[in-house]
Amino acid sequence: MTGPSAAEPPFDPGWLDTLTDACRSLTAATPRLHDLYLERRLELKVSTLAGSAHAEESRTDGAAARWRYPSRTAFHARTGTSPPALEDLLSRHARRTALPRARPPALVEIERPPEWRDWAQATLGRARRGHCTVRYLARRAVVVGPERWTAVSCPPLVRVELDGESPSALLAVWRHPELESWLSELAAPPPARRWRPEPGLKVPVLLRSGTAGVLVHELIGHLTESDLVLSGDSPLAGLAGAAVTAVAIDIADDPCRDDLPGAFSCDDEGVPAAPLPLVRAGRLVGWLCDRAGAHGLDAPAGRGRRASWARPPVARLSNLIVAPGTADPEDLQRGLREGLLVTRIGGATVDPLSGRIVLRVERGWELRQGRRRRPLEPFELTGGARDVLAHVEPTVGRDESPDWRLGWCVKDGVPLPTGSAAPTLLVHNLEVL
Amino acid sequence: MSADDGFRHQERLRSAAATARDVLTRSGGCRFEVFTKASVTREVEVAPGEPPRELEVEEMGVAVRTTRGRCAGFAAASGLEADAARRAIDGAIAVERELPFDPLPPSRLLAAAETHSSWRLPPRGWAHHTGEQLAKAVAAISGGRLRLRRCLFQEGTFSWLLQTGEGFVATYDGAACSLLTEVQPAEGRGGVWREWHHVADPGGLDSAVVGRRIADRALLVQGRIATGSGLVSLILAPEVAARLLTALSPLFVVWSDRRDPLAKLLDSSGRLAAAALTLLDDRLDPQAPITGPCDGEGLPAARTLLVERGIPRHRLASYRDALALGEPPRGGALRLSYRDYPSTGIANLRVSTEHGSPPAELLRAAGTTLYLLRPLAPVLVDFAEASYRIVASGVWLDDGRVRGWHPVVELRGSLARLLGRIEAVGTDLAWFQADRGVVGAPSLLIASQPVVGQ
Repeated sequence: MTGPSAAEPPFDPGWLDTLTDACRSLTAATPRLHDLYLERRLELKVSTLAGSAHAEESRTDGAAARWRYPSRTAFHARTGTSPPALEDLLSRHARRTALPRARPPALVEIERPPEWRDWAQATLGRARRGHCTVRYLARRAVVVGPERWTAVSCPPLVRVELDGESPSALLAVWRHPELESWLSELAAPPPARRWRPEPGLKVPVLLRSGTAGVLVHELIGHLTESDLVLSGDSPLAGLAGAAVTAVAIDIADDPCRDDLPGAFSCDDEGVPAAPLPLVRAGRLVGWLCDRAGAHGLDAPAGRGRRASWARPPVARLSNLIVAPGTADPEDLQRGLREGLLVTRIGGATVDPLSGRIVLRVERGWELRQGRRRRPLEPFELTGGARDVLAHVEPTVGRDESPDWRLGWCVKDGVPLPTGSAAPTLLVHNLEVL
Repeated sequence: MSADDGFRHQERLRSAAATARDVLTRSGGCRFEVFTKASVTREVEVAPGEPPRELEVEEMGVAVRTTRGRCAGFAAASGLEADAARRAIDGAIAVERELPFDPLPPSRLLAAAETHSSWRLPPRGWAHHTGEQLAKAVAAISGGRLRLRRCLFQEGTFSWLLQTGEGFVATYDGAACSLLTEVQPAEGRGGVWREWHHVADPGGLDSAVVGRRIADRALLVQGRIATGSGLVSLILAPEVAARLLTALSPLFVVWSDRRDPLAKLLDSSGRLAAAALTLLDDRLDPQAPITGPCDGEGLPAARTLLVERGIPRHRLASYRDALALGEPPRGGALRLSYRDYPSTGIANLRVSTEHGSPPAELLRAAGTTLYLLRPLAPVLVDFAEASYRIVASGVWLDDGRVRGWHPVVELRGSLARLLGRIEAVGTDLAWFQADRGVVGAPSLLIASQPVVGQ
């Protein structure tokens, strides 16, 4: 499996050393160069068209510099990573730029995976219903700071989108061993004779098949991001050390899980990846910070992520992991006299200011006396963030599983790949919208 | 945008396109199209009490479409150097796949319509100054009850060039500006009122007028809570109406017969909506956000009548989708960036306000009215069930006078009945971003809307 552990720089290391030396003088001047970011991307796309396959390829590279003036900050980015392009970029804010005149060795393109063409074609063939789009996304980057350069490596990803009457999507690490079984699940048609629970209904909801990861992504992931905490918009702001959920719950953000889409070797500000506990024994113990947020909250940095070279880094989560418990998930289900079983979530949002979460349930079952009764129609569940957290059952399933359905997370219009893995969780007070 | 910037970009775009054309011509045996684009985007965030943040992004690239025998390919590469053109060509050839038709439009369909791009980018410092003026205006108009939390100015210039192997060339230099404002109560933790404004002419932006518009609407929701029920008049403010049109926009592009949702929504006389509603995709309006001499693949820019007095007339299609689905090509392709394949999509979907009424007149005439101001979620439309759901906040009005605020209203029901009850449209058309393209909507007055609940 390809993972972020081998952090290959997209450029020659010797040339990057020279570039770092050249940038050092700019970090002591006014305006002060904060960092220089260089990135290359490859996106491959295949979609169905009139019974045939239509294919596209896009290769982009660009660079961004962040500057600090006494009274303002500036971010400047441009296409290209060649020495003239970088010199042009830096000269917009620096009086003198002395970049190495020697050209770097020939650029190494990000290779198309040799099996991509056949695999994408076969995937289109499996998606019998509706319109299907299959994408391959690969990125390599490097952050040049005042002391050193740091390569940023991420696993290549695959995203499959199915349109039609029951639109659905998948996001996974390319060559993940479970990818084929997830694709089979994705392509499976929804069951017939589905039932929609009444709006306003409040019943216990059993979140299985990794769907609890989506809930925690919204409630803990987004609401511990330092920009929301510092602005006071997060309902979790000011609750460091407080008990926010059941004592059995441990949650961490882990970019080192290279089987999940949010993995990276270093964040996009050059901080090496490390797991970060957010909730330990039900208490809030951590914040997700970029460098600016870390300064404001006196917490470790390492979650400054960029959607592309053209956007500045912001505090974002990577892979949210809920630690498994010891309960048999079947026992949790059998113990429910009445409730809803959720096996696939198709979308989720949290509004930090109102503190309300909305989960769009795509697949699931009505439960009666612990048994599956009727399949569910798509519907939405809602609840207040702190209230939902406070009503998570302390008995946690032992079955950690990743959520392959979501992960393409959009915040303020900016998308990023994220991942989650969670065991079965029982939540008591979600309300049908 | 200054003429110098456009000229500078066009020279580089021509050079990149010429390199691509030469390589492709030498390789022989293929039809091709080269698209090159350069853009500069500047964002300035002004938040009172915070240091301003500036973001400037320069992006440029080349895209190539090829057809060789029965195979077609598309690839894009960043940059305007010779290397970028070669990478795009290599990519397009590498991904070529067999198609039952040639997706490149024939030369006879290509032409450039006359368009005007009239304004220049505002000078540096304009955003700071306007942001400060806006903050003062919001505070003054609200009597200190509201404060501007932040405003984000986005200004951009762009140039593009489209060239085919048969010699067709179209070029365009344009500019765009928008403003995002966030207002919240000056005291305590209250909801943030967020608005996006398309600025057609930055030079003519009056911060007092914009401040009043923002503050008036934000203050409406600070009042006491009121409820109501029964058959009432419903007014969708432009932002809510735009969300409804965004949800309806799939009806205005081509579909395969098997999946076409439009048929289910038409009444026995072929009517989709009341006669008050006329919809256009207007690519010729110089005040609209997306303009240019041609669509994304060289068909002349047009004003396509989508719904005429409630009756569907035409639908949009790129040349490729028109061929695949048996529709006449009308120039319905859209390129969101140089990286994107020119695909079917709305550009400027707008309601015709030719027979519209001023919003104050709509409010006065409406009697007991639920006036939905702010969408709280995307409007959902289920074409299979012909139903809709709108979740929004708004105010109750009695003969134009505010009775109180209704924080969350959820309306569900038959889409055909909702569209059939559109009684009048306003003249207050405003532009809003959609998933693809933009939507221009005025206030919509809907008669006899059943409202149930507390």
